[in-house]
Amino acid sequence: MASLIFQIVVDSLLLGGVYTLMAVGLSLAFGVTRIINFAHGDIVMYGAYAAFFAFVSLNIDPLLSLLFVAILGAIGGYLLFKLTLDRILDAPGINQVLLTFGLGLVLQNVAVILWTGDERSTTPSYAFDSWFLSDDIVVAKGRLIAFGLAVAFVVLLLAWLRWSELGRATRAVSQNRAAASLMGINVRAMYALSFGLSSSFGTATGAIMSFLLPITPFMGFPILVKAFAIIILGGLDSIVGTVIGAFLLATAETTIAYVVPQGIGWAEGVAFFLLVIVLIVRPTGILGTVGRDA
Amino acid sequence: MLKIRGVSKRYGGVAAISDLSFDLARGEVLGVIGPNGAGKTTLLNLITGYNAPNEGSILLEGRELRGLAPYEICRLGVARTFQVVRPFAEMTVNDNVMTGALFASDKWISAQDAALRAERALDMVGLLHKRQALGSDLTIGEKKKLELARALATKAKLLLLDEVMSGLTGSEIDAVMDAIERVADSGVTILMIEHLVGVILALADRVLVLNFGRELFQGTPEEVIAHPDVIESYLGQPLERLQT
Amino acid sequence: MIAVRGWIIILGSLVVALVAPHFLPPGFSDWLTRLSTLILVAASWNMMANAGLISLGHSGFWGLGAYSAALLANAFHIPFWLSIVPAMLLGAFFGACLAYITGRLRGLFFAIATLATSEALRVVALMVPKLTGGAEGVFVFDQIRPDRITMTSFSLCLAVATVATSYFLSRSRYQYALRAMRDSESAVQMLGVNPARFRIGVTALSGAIASCAGVITAWFTGYIDPGSAFDLKITISAQIAPLFGGLYTVTGPVVGSIAILALSELTRLYFNYSGGVGLLVYGCILVFGVLMMPSGLVGLWKRRRKPVVTDAAVPARAK
Repeated sequence: MASLIFQIVVDSLLLGGVYTLMAVGLSLAFGVTRIINFAHGDIVMYGAYAAFFAFVSLNIDPLLSLLFVAILGAIGGYLLFKLTLDRILDAPGINQVLLTFGLGLVLQNVAVILWTGDERSTTPSYAFDSWFLSDDIVVAKGRLIAFGLAVAFVVLLLAWLRWSELGRATRAVSQNRAAASLMGINVRAMYALSFGLSSSFGTATGAIMSFLLPITPFMGFPILVKAFAIIILGGLDSIVGTVIGAFLLATAETTIAYVVPQGIGWAEGVAFFLLVIVLIVRPTGILGTVGRDA
Repeated sequence: MLKIRGVSKRYGGVAAISDLSFDLARGEVLGVIGPNGAGKTTLLNLITGYNAPNEGSILLEGRELRGLAPYEICRLGVARTFQVVRPFAEMTVNDNVMTGALFASDKWISAQDAALRAERALDMVGLLHKRQALGSDLTIGEKKKLELARALATKAKLLLLDEVMSGLTGSEIDAVMDAIERVADSGVTILMIEHLVGVILALADRVLVLNFGRELFQGTPEEVIAHPDVIESYLGQPLERLQT
Repeated sequence: MIAVRGWIIILGSLVVALVAPHFLPPGFSDWLTRLSTLILVAASWNMMANAGLISLGHSGFWGLGAYSAALLANAFHIPFWLSIVPAMLLGAFFGACLAYITGRLRGLFFAIATLATSEALRVVALMVPKLTGGAEGVFVFDQIRPDRITMTSFSLCLAVATVATSYFLSRSRYQYALRAMRDSESAVQMLGVNPARFRIGVTALSGAIASCAGVITAWFTGYIDPGSAFDLKITISAQIAPLFGGLYTVTGPVVGSIAILALSELTRLYFNYSGGVGLLVYGCILVFGVLMMPSGLVGLWKRRRKPVVTDAAVPARAK
């Protein structure tokens, strides 16, 4: 019993790291632009494919290619924003939802056409390695690496937001667009920047997912929904809230998977149930300040 | 008509309105002035049910408004305009005002009657020639007039105006002042928040000065501009300059 | 006068719906059945969008309709036309609950809540095999399935009824409140409109109609499983058809449904090897529709005929 609880804690922590990675980019972009990017899951998917092809044809470890993949993601996200969303920023919110939803569909199905629905994955040695803390408590090495990277990314992001000139401008825009614009901050440029940064987080997450999950063109949607649940749990515009949300979701899923009969099937639904419950019970999330009438 | 008794509203620890009481008689025009952050818009939000007061009571013709939703309060005969105008951008001016006429009372109103009422309201504010324009295509002055017409179409007994003059040009101000005067003459009770002292002097029967959510002074417009406390804390500068 | 013309068009369409399937080749009448289901979800989605409610959960209504019809038919052997009734009631009830519990949620958050609810329903359908057959799905008893012609007529009639409903709704006094809600639920309250009532009403109506589409599909294909009944593609086509045809208009969803069905048939003809192309086209329609053609095909047609569009049904950004 004790070891079961301990295993649940370990698994929840590790899964929470993975979930943090999935959600932090979405949360950053939303915090600044107030647009939910329904294509975020598919951006993660492209990161995974990029890492896969780097691994297979150039024999580059995903942890190494992660850097290039992140840079490509930043450029891609920036361009995507400039070409599409930038033109409809003043339109009603429905247009932005439909647009990013459509972008996601395009990205996903270009991937289907290019690479078919076959499952792939990168296979660095650590992907299959595990440590046994005791006889029946296992730590998957791949997830531990993801956890470590998640911590590093979040710390870097928070530091950047806090101490860099651009980061502070980003926070200013996120807190009050009108005032930020009066202070001489180019709000639209900050939007594009945050979108690029968000995509860069997305593709980097994809590179990490490439050795944790099977890579398919359809991997984006479940990731997107989980990221939704997480940032709504955590309160949308708060990075720290996102981290908390990620660990809450991970804990709930892991616990249900272990404790409830047929739990693994039900665990898939936890994100949806949590999402609905949180939206109803506490619409501002745990640490959020955003009213839900956006 | 309207009795405000000991009303307080706090946001977190900050008091936006504290222990405010005043009366509004039928047919009266009350001007509310005060510096930014004095709680003027909060007061309107409390009366119209957008926010609930922490304490006190708000009585309309003896009926408690606390706890009612904005649409219920509207049906009791209270209408308002918003400081930041909110015309329905995708609807024509006429449809905007029709919406005000159709749903504002518990009684069923036929579409023809509503159209007639909309026409009268638009005529009163001088916007009849723009009736087929989209709400989003109006100038800021026209949008203010549209809000006023929409509020009038609800056949309100009590009209709350939140800085209808801000952003208007001189001639537009005169036009809207004429419109408000006509409304007041038709027997509607008006509570207006206004920055322009000239407008208050011309229209208000009585003035309430708010500062930090409290009543600083109540009196006739002439008393108010002569009152040293008011000059000190709100106006803070010679009146001649403000009036222009 | 216009109302009379409306009635004539509706009655004429009903007659066509009843007669035409007798004379059409089987392939074409299957196509019409699918078109009808598409019109049902598209028009019902459009009704909610018209009130400012973006639904990403229409596959949830569809699935509820499909499952309730199939399970009730198998349990009580009720005929297919009767199975519409409980399915619509369930769809309406679910829609009303959804609108009630999502209460204050606006735009984006409402959309996410609907998406989550419909996905949650899919998980439930998958995980409660005792009721739903789980991943193996449900077969509708063959003996009680109607023939193809009846099926086609019936679905066409439902489509006509749906379009008629949205036509009358768009001409009614409620349209003033619904359109105003789309702009600002907060401001419309000060005009005496209770947004909660309208939002519950329109979501219930939309849910009832969308669940009909599920009922038709359950009877038409004779088999449903969680994956197909709660397929996200349903939600996608529900929003693409109105957007393509003309958002917030009565004819838009119909024109859009015909257009995207034709498109998907074409892509199937030319790219039959891959399922990706059809959805890719849908995605492109969404992206380009939002960016370049906000008032849809109907809007293009109107603009061609009269230079100044003053129709309030055209989104603000059209100007």
